[in-house]
Amino acid sequence: MSILEYAWLIPVLPLLAFVIVGFLGGKMKDNGAIVAVIGVGGAMVLALWTAFEVLTTGVVYKPESMEWVVLSSDYSMEMGVYIDSVAAMMLIVVSFIAFLVVVYSTAYMHDQGKRQRRYFTEICLFVGVMLGLVLANNFLQMFIFWELVGLCSYLLIGFWFERPAAARAAKKAFLVTRVGDVMLMIGLFLLFTEFHSLNYELIWGNLTTADQTTLAFAGFFLFGGAIGKSAQFPLHDWLPDAMEGPTTVSALIHAATMVNAGVYLTARAFPIIATSADVSLFVAAIGGITAFIAATMALCAPKIKGVLAYSTVSQLGYMILALGTGAFLWNQGHHEAGSLAFGAGLFHLMNHAFFKGQLFLGAGSVIHYVGTEELSKMGGLGKYMKVTSITMLISCISIAGIPFFSGFWSKDEILAMTFEATDVNLWFLLLWIMGVATAFMTAFYMFRMWFMAFKGEPGEGTKHVIEHGGHHHEAPIAMLLPLVILAALAFGSWLSLFIGDGFYSVINVEGEFHALSIIERLEEVFSSPLTWVSIAMAGGGIALAYYTFNKRRISAENVVSKGFPKAMRQLLLDRYKFPVAYDKIGYVGVYGFSLLLDKFDRYVIDGIVNGISKFLIKAGGVVRKSQTGFVQNYTTLLLLGVSLIIVLLYVVGALR
Amino acid sequence: MNIPLEYILVLSSSLFVIGAAGVILKKNIIVVLMSIEIMLNAANINLVAFSTYYGDTTGQVFALFSIGVAAAEVAVALAILLNLNKQKKTVDIDEINLLRW
Amino acid sequence: MLENIPILSLLLLFPLVGALVTFFVKDQKKAKITALVFSAIPLILSLLMLTEYVQNYGPYQFEETYSWIGSLGIQYMLGVDGISVPMVFLSTLLVFLAIIFSWDIDHRTNQYMALLLVLELGVLGVFMSLDYFLFYIFWEVVLIPMYFLISVWGGPRKSYAAIKFFIYTHIASLVMLLGIFALYFEAGSYNGGNYSFSMEVINSVSPMFGATFQAIVFGALFFGFAVKMPMFPFHTWLPDAHVEAPTAGSVLLAGLLLKMGSYGIIRVAFPALPSGAQDWQWVMVVLAIASIVYGAVMCLAQKDLKKMVAYSSISHMGIVLLGFATFTEIGIAAGVFQMFSHGLITAVLFMMCGIMQHKAGTRNIPRLGGLAAKMPYAAAFMMIGFMASLGLPGMVGFVAEFSVFTATYDAFGWLLLIPVISVAITAAYYIWAMQRVLFGPVTTEIDTAHLHDVNWYEALPLAVLCGFIVLFGMFPQLIMGYITPAIEGIVTLLGVI
Repeated sequence: MSILEYAWLIPVLPLLAFVIVGFLGGKMKDNGAIVAVIGVGGAMVLALWTAFEVLTTGVVYKPESMEWVVLSSDYSMEMGVYIDSVAAMMLIVVSFIAFLVVVYSTAYMHDQGKRQRRYFTEICLFVGVMLGLVLANNFLQMFIFWELVGLCSYLLIGFWFERPAAARAAKKAFLVTRVGDVMLMIGLFLLFTEFHSLNYELIWGNLTTADQTTLAFAGFFLFGGAIGKSAQFPLHDWLPDAMEGPTTVSALIHAATMVNAGVYLTARAFPIIATSADVSLFVAAIGGITAFIAATMALCAPKIKGVLAYSTVSQLGYMILALGTGAFLWNQGHHEAGSLAFGAGLFHLMNHAFFKGQLFLGAGSVIHYVGTEELSKMGGLGKYMKVTSITMLISCISIAGIPFFSGFWSKDEILAMTFEATDVNLWFLLLWIMGVATAFMTAFYMFRMWFMAFKGEPGEGTKHVIEHGGHHHEAPIAMLLPLVILAALAFGSWLSLFIGDGFYSVINVEGEFHALSIIERLEEVFSSPLTWVSIAMAGGGIALAYYTFNKRRISAENVVSKGFPKAMRQLLLDRYKFPVAYDKIGYVGVYGFSLLLDKFDRYVIDGIVNGISKFLIKAGGVVRKSQTGFVQNYTTLLLLGVSLIIVLLYVVGALR
Repeated sequence: MNIPLEYILVLSSSLFVIGAAGVILKKNIIVVLMSIEIMLNAANINLVAFSTYYGDTTGQVFALFSIGVAAAEVAVALAILLNLNKQKKTVDIDEINLLRW
Repeated sequence: MLENIPILSLLLLFPLVGALVTFFVKDQKKAKITALVFSAIPLILSLLMLTEYVQNYGPYQFEETYSWIGSLGIQYMLGVDGISVPMVFLSTLLVFLAIIFSWDIDHRTNQYMALLLVLELGVLGVFMSLDYFLFYIFWEVVLIPMYFLISVWGGPRKSYAAIKFFIYTHIASLVMLLGIFALYFEAGSYNGGNYSFSMEVINSVSPMFGATFQAIVFGALFFGFAVKMPMFPFHTWLPDAHVEAPTAGSVLLAGLLLKMGSYGIIRVAFPALPSGAQDWQWVMVVLAIASIVYGAVMCLAQKDLKKMVAYSSISHMGIVLLGFATFTEIGIAAGVFQMFSHGLITAVLFMMCGIMQHKAGTRNIPRLGGLAAKMPYAAAFMMIGFMASLGLPGMVGFVAEFSVFTATYDAFGWLLLIPVISVAITAAYYIWAMQRVLFGPVTTEIDTAHLHDVNWYEALPLAVLCGFIVLFGMFPQLIMGYITPAIEGIVTLLGVI
């Protein structure tokens, strides 16, 4: 009896909690918080155990899938479980962070009263379907849960639905990701008709015999789904808006788990994407561009959650860049490098989930304390929020890429692999440069945020809190504990490189790797000039932020007060006019077209219908004049008619 | 001694034409009604004549039906005409076009 | 247990008797209860039928045949197969729920309820007849109660809408009747002068019909059904009828009457005229795709919630036709499933429109807003309905839509890209409508102080429907199990030519 046989319970437990809280939560004293904690906690225990089992034994758990619906004699849809090392890693990340966030929420959402019930209902649903997404053994099942996490994201962004901004953001998130989903669906239709099944293994196993053009298109369209869900350029603009939801939601859904689903999908579609060099390059390019432009937008974001949102987009771009590069290298026959890039992407996913989850929860703690999201109104909080500031500092160091923090290991590997691909295709040089520039900007904006929030003169918000007696302690233990745990992981998750044969020995494409010991790896990493480039970038970024926002040696206000920097800053604040463009397409393009079509429907099509009836009425008016009312007229016509018929009959008879 | 069929047909067609002419041309509505009766009788004569000609009594039965129906019809028609006359104070058919468009 | 009970005749008998009885019950309350009882019995019977039906058995089941007008070859012939079984269940369910939902009707209640039952009789007859003549009679029976429902209990422009509905669909059914007569005479001549309206008899000789004959007659039948479905550009009667119809009328109009059109295509037009269907394939595909996209885009422009839902019906019925027009097993099966799922979903949507009209006094989207705070249960139902309608997985609409598009790619390749756009547009109009109706600050355009949440008689049908939407969404095999085996025969027929 193995624990794996109960793996299907992992999503079921939170879903059970969803049903219980949803129907009975209103009657509970804590509005279902404890049920949610138990449900998600149970799922976490099971998930960690399952993941441990899979990762240690190295066995892929793939029980016989069951037939979900038979569509015809040659098509059917299936449901099943597939846990390989990638799924196991995702299980750890999702379940663990979800549990911490739910625990954190019990305190953070406490002031919401009866509304907590809805919050916990939706969170439980989210955790359940997200875990279901991870466990799926076929693309269809993944898509089903994919849409459901989208629904939860929609509901939770619009949690405070009475705020117009929240309602708008929720709509935008749903619709923009829906565009990606349509692409994903097209990809699924292609695969479904090609293979008559969407099972991962079946598709991976039959790639060589399938039609290569179809596969290339399928890979392209599948990645379209990832563009939407993982907020990649040009569909990235919903994620910053999504910050209208509660901060816990941003941490869980829009940083640590759901947005990673796109990366996970790309990982699942990796063999398909890798069949085409063009598609692989496209994926890498999208990742690189996203990483770069999102980082630029983070540079001057006024809100703490805004910085984190752009940063999330940017880091997701890194992951996609890694996967695209990996697919490209794999396609070109560099299997080992491709596999390593693939692993690096997913390694970054895990590290990012930890440090970004931590940062969001920390931001939540800050907002909880100071009551505002504006960075300019914070400042000097470090004195009052020791735990929050220190744990967030650890995460900032990690994301900036300082050696021996987890972010360094994955980001460095991604950049190294991108550089390696330059040998094959020169475009990767550009991507590498963008990646390095992003690394610099990342270090800068993260520390800008940290310094602005925790150091320097107390801002308006800080003063306000202190003057009014303030909070004596920064946050309840239920909020601080997750911060500390996640910060520990944000520092320490790189150690997974050296447990057993190491991270890359488990997370890879079909076992193409060679294990490195700590010494070997250190030697390899630090002997490469590339590593020093990225360290220099990170250090430079931090230093710049330090002098600008802590020491105030450089006045940020002066720099952006005029000329090109000013215009640039405005452009960045306007998010490169992307929201305007979306609105133009949506309101002016589609809605305008629909209004036109409405006129067409009303006046042309319905006009024809009504026109026919009007014509008939008019024609009737003319013809009815023949009804004189004089009986003798009728009789005469009748007799004439009868005579005519007789004559005709006679003539016809005579002619025969 | 048999009267040849043609004679009877000539008689009935003549009656029919006379009746039809009356229906179309006469102005007095009573006369029109009488002309209709003449046409009916022309048809009845035909029925009886062919019945005898073929030696099949069905025609005669139909003629009887026809006479019965005609009687009922006249009763109804006269009742309508009486009412009409009461209202319109006329028997001139050109004055009556109530069912006009 | 059921072998000796004429279950299909009973299904027709109870609404008929119920209609007569209800009509003569003058007391309002008693009339409602009588109607409810008489619609509950068919529902139970149809549930029994669902359990007794043998799924993997192709031919018609529960067949009943009696000669009716023998000299013309007209029989009273009933039977169900996997296509009609879900429709019969849907019909009995929707009428039952519509009667509960109409609990607040206080104007000529007995007549209203009686008309709903007559409607049930007609719709069930259409779904169960195996004789073209009988089929046509029931087809026409449906028109009359719907005409009166709109013209007596309807909105401000009720007489315009009712007459438009009646004349438009009636012309269509006359054209269809001509087609049926043509089939009758043609089949009779192939059968050696043995004239019969029986579907089995006609369909058995149908592959021998000449190609021109098939093309012409299929055109006639298709016109009849396309108007009923309704397909672009014959759709304009639908929004008008829906806007004016009372809620229960709209529920049944969209939930059942539209299905008659698509049911006719799959039950009458395809098996009787397989080569005609081939000739018209591209017309069907073009009309289907046009309806899907056109309906969806039109929804965006609508200010009236109910009109929006009405246009969404056109879009979703287009998906049905697109599935049929692929001539593939998966496409046709999914089309039938889409008929079923659209019936459930659209009922929820129209009930929500009714609730908005009733509670808020308006269905005008810009005048509503923030209602989620005032009526949370209504908001939840509306959300479920909208989400199901936009094809969210886990709800009943998803599998059908997904499969139809799969079949489209299978049959027509990249043509898929046009209809699939509607997936995004559908999401857009629903999500946007939801934002404007439910979210944001509470509207000041209407008096919201006395805004109540749903009553029991509104919540009950909605809850049942939402339950089914989720149930069949999670376990679509419950319905697909009936449909799939029945499709194979039709596809074989189409493949023969």
